[in-house]
Amino acid sequence: MTTVDPGRSPARLVVGVDIGNSTTEACLASIGPDGSITYLATDLTRTTGVKGTPDNTAGALTAVRGALERAGRRVGEVHTVLLNEATPVISGLAMETITETIITESTMIGHNPATPGGEGLGVGTTVPVGALPEQAPGQPVVCVVPAGADFDDVAAAVNAAVRRGVDVVAAVLAGDDAVLVTNRLDRPIPVVDEVAAVERVPLGMLAAVEVAAPGRTIRTLSNSYGLATVFELDPAQTRQVSPVARALTGNRSAVVVRTPTGDVTDRRIPVGELVLRGAGKTLRVDVDAGAEAIMDTVARVQPLDDAHGEPGTHVGGMLAQVRDTMADVMDVAGQPDVPVSEIAIRDVLAVDTFVPAEVRGGLAGEVALENAVALAAMVRTSRSRMQLVADLVSEQLGAAAEIGGVEGEMAVGGALTTPGVDRPVAVLDLGGGSTDAALLTREGECTAVHVAGAGELVTKLIDSELALDDRETAESVKRFPLAKVESFFHVRHEDGTVQFSDQPLPPHVFARVVVLTPDGPAPVPTWHGLDHVRRVRREAKRRVFVVNALRALRQVAPGANLRALDFVVLLGGSALDFEIPDLIADALAPHGVVCGTGNVLGTEGPRNAVASGLVRAHAAVLAEGARCPAS
Amino acid sequence: MPGELTAPGPRPAVLVYRHPAAPASVLRQVCAGVEEEGVPTDVTDVPGPDDATALAHAAAGESRLGVGIGLDAAGAAAVHHGTLPEQAPVLTTPAQALPSDWRRVGRVAARVVKHLPLV
Repeated sequence: MTTVDPGRSPARLVVGVDIGNSTTEACLASIGPDGSITYLATDLTRTTGVKGTPDNTAGALTAVRGALERAGRRVGEVHTVLLNEATPVISGLAMETITETIITESTMIGHNPATPGGEGLGVGTTVPVGALPEQAPGQPVVCVVPAGADFDDVAAAVNAAVRRGVDVVAAVLAGDDAVLVTNRLDRPIPVVDEVAAVERVPLGMLAAVEVAAPGRTIRTLSNSYGLATVFELDPAQTRQVSPVARALTGNRSAVVVRTPTGDVTDRRIPVGELVLRGAGKTLRVDVDAGAEAIMDTVARVQPLDDAHGEPGTHVGGMLAQVRDTMADVMDVAGQPDVPVSEIAIRDVLAVDTFVPAEVRGGLAGEVALENAVALAAMVRTSRSRMQLVADLVSEQLGAAAEIGGVEGEMAVGGALTTPGVDRPVAVLDLGGGSTDAALLTREGECTAVHVAGAGELVTKLIDSELALDDRETAESVKRFPLAKVESFFHVRHEDGTVQFSDQPLPPHVFARVVVLTPDGPAPVPTWHGLDHVRRVRREAKRRVFVVNALRALRQVAPGANLRALDFVVLLGGSALDFEIPDLIADALAPHGVVCGTGNVLGTEGPRNAVASGLVRAHAAVLAEGARCPAS
Repeated sequence: MPGELTAPGPRPAVLVYRHPAAPASVLRQVCAGVEEEGVPTDVTDVPGPDDATALAHAAAGESRLGVGIGLDAAGAAAVHHGTLPEQAPVLTTPAQALPSDWRRVGRVAARVVKHLPLV
């Protein structure tokens, strides 16, 4: 490959630079007059600033200098710097819950305190603990204890009342004292504790308290007919309380207070319609119908020209917000602002998800899993945003700077340097905002598509489904394997391997599900077990990357037939993920496709494809120029 | 009888070693914290070292559950586990802590026994 013809003009030193959303990569090569390429060095650094803005210059220069240093060359030797044309897509995300559980009157306490007391079912009238001495004997009562009460005093008050003949059948406490109180009672009763809003428990009302034995769940209050029996309800009333029973299913303890107008509603919020325009038609789909119905409709209007939400509905708000964000991102200094009305949404990915949301009207921070739809949307921009960066790089290095080629085509060129790959080849660039596919046919024709939804959507799904409310934690759950800390000295990995450590693990990770980050184990703030967290993580990746890989490849494959693809090369940051490439390969296996993570230049893994593709394309142009005058 | 086949020995419990001058209110809340989690405690007066961490480490070494709590004369508390080095206790609270902190000392000790997250 190394050919420098001393008789002709000497070899040129060129650097391909790929400025991505998160990393900037450089590929240094020397190109002979006949177009032969000698790769000298590569480098990788963090992208400075938002992709496509002049702030990128610093990162680009760092990468160029890094590659030069590795190759032992000087800045002055560089002939041309080749920059990528930024993928002309920007993506945005929105999420909206479509169900909501509201308790219109405070009728139930359905949380799961770690340590309730006693067991069994108690049904009686609610009475504050302070009023027990005045309570007449006979009638069954449920004792309600405010915050700050001492467990010895509560137990003494209940014991005294029982001795007087008051039938105390159960208790509801604000503090975490249920076991302590139960242990001090002469006659055991079920006790539910940690009820934060205990002052909102209606007094003088009929209430039922149920605590199941350890390892069991409640049987009566989670059963509609159990509630009907306890509260002597007629069929119409039973129908009304059935959402209460459903909300309490799976709990170890529960309290239901019967108030005259009490009701739990599980209502669907009108989300509105998504209006999709493309392929000469306009179709409308209810977002309530879920992700599958939305994606079916999107498929029927390919290629999509624009998407709108019904004004005044949730989906209208979601898309308007995406559009506003994109208008901000697209603004380039020195150019007029992009009018929001001109931003056309060219692809939409809908994903069904769920959001743990606090039940409105709950007394103990009860959480219900509400259904939600997440939307990723993508717009195209016609503006070249890289020229400013190219000018600055050229000025600082004293070399020519060119913007070469479409990112997708360059990536295919780079992917071809992976050992074992040949035309026709398709690449899947698994990025942060969009998933991009490009196909290079045997004849050398290249087509590229971009579909909405990638790594950032995965992070968002993990964040909301595990109720982490912390993007950083969600990001590390996505990127690193899980483990359970089983003692101060050992962890069990998610595959079951047990690893011993010489140094004690810190107490804040003890018995927790942790993410094994390079900085050590970090706790995942959730009560769910490791298996649940793992399932959420893998499902989020599958619903975004597998769905999008198939969607994007069908768009570039001849006749939308995946069998027509021979080689699929995975590129981009998410191709470095420890399971996404396997999930995609599994999904493509039935179509007889060779699929794997790219190894650009045989050394770079899925990195540097665009940077080295730029060098290849430049060399091809030089070779063409060298041949023409000669012939 | 099967029960007699094993030596009786002390029952498995979280051992609380307290300096004789340790405040009773601290001891009461600490023990309540362990009891609420359903784990037994045994309290022993240990005259001599007035250092919560050292007392907790000694208690953890003796406990058949491997978990000990130390209370010093001023009311400072520490939780220790038998496998940990003495200078690395599970939890310590200063002398001027609140009743809820003392309760947490007991709860954390019990949760080390039960292998639950230390909250």
